[in-house]
Amino acid sequence: MAIINQATKELQVKVVYYGPAMGGKTTNLVQVHDHVQTQAGNKGKLVSLATSSDRTLFFDFLPIEAMTIKGFKTKFQLYTVPGQVIYNTTRQLVLRGVDGIVFVADSQYEKMPENAESFQNLMDNLTSLKLNIADIPYVLQYNKRDLPNAAPVEYMEYLLNNREVQVPSFSASAHKCEGVFESLNMITRLLLQKFINQGAPSHA
Amino acid sequence: MATLPQLIEEDMQRLDEALREFIGQTDATAALIIDKGGFLITHQGDSSQFDVTTIGALASGAFMANQTIAGLVNEPNFNSVYQQGEKSSMLVVNIDEHCLLIVIFSASIGVGIMKYYASGAIRKIAGQLAVAQTRNPGGGYDLSVLNLADSENLFRKKD
Repeated sequence: MAIINQATKELQVKVVYYGPAMGGKTTNLVQVHDHVQTQAGNKGKLVSLATSSDRTLFFDFLPIEAMTIKGFKTKFQLYTVPGQVIYNTTRQLVLRGVDGIVFVADSQYEKMPENAESFQNLMDNLTSLKLNIADIPYVLQYNKRDLPNAAPVEYMEYLLNNREVQVPSFSASAHKCEGVFESLNMITRLLLQKFINQGAPSHA
Repeated sequence: MATLPQLIEEDMQRLDEALREFIGQTDATAALIIDKGGFLITHQGDSSQFDVTTIGALASGAFMANQTIAGLVNEPNFNSVYQQGEKSSMLVVNIDEHCLLIVIFSASIGVGIMKYYASGAIRKIAGQLAVAQTRNPGGGYDLSVLNLADSENLFRKKD
């Protein structure tokens, strides 16, 4: 979970991009890395632990600092998980300490079973870490909206966003950087809101 | 899942003190305390040449992967990971349920001395983390100082 260092006035949070294989999780991080406005030194290197064919093997990692909020330096650590089904152990490792999730779904019709399976896998993995999806802020990103075989957003909402409490969802074409920053800003907003609502005694 | 306590000035001083003492004893190049989720908590030594944030993320992943391997080979605990290089070596040792100690040191120094002195440093670090946890057992957040209105569009796209 997030680390709050009252001594250095630093808040560190972990956001994980989750979703089916080839859905665009790594592309999201690449676009954030390439296009985010930051002051010098506030953006780290994008590290990818990938196979020779550029498929994520362990995770991608991008550290990035946002503008200081009321004296707190906020350090975001963005991770992706490998989408391929066989790497489930790795996904569990990356989820450890997660504060917020961006679920990147593939909008193509034929990918709907994989989207549903990946979302169920996310819930199962959170359960194995003694976490509950209802307690973790998350947003849905419907990626690849620019493809001709994209399913209607309403159908994806029915498939993935039909719980008691609906979460924010975004249409995206990550390779064009559309919907990428919208998703990132919403998840950061949701998780900061959660921290504030969890108010507890301070020791500063 | 339990969370780390919030750390205050006194905690950070004690943690840094333990790391400095350890570096003095071993001549290690740098020592880092990280959380198992990959967050860097603090570091001491000559770490200006390293990207300590990324090292923290990768080392925690490597350590946790080894813990999983331990489970697969019916070993109850691999409590450290050692990587020997030509110029530099790295040792990652378990501190407690939440944290790890990473030591980067010259390959000319044996790992034995690192492990020997690391055990003392770990006792002090774990002790201070336990003090912080007792002080604030809920490990909660008080971020009422944050103004959410300021957090809108934290990340902006370049034009």
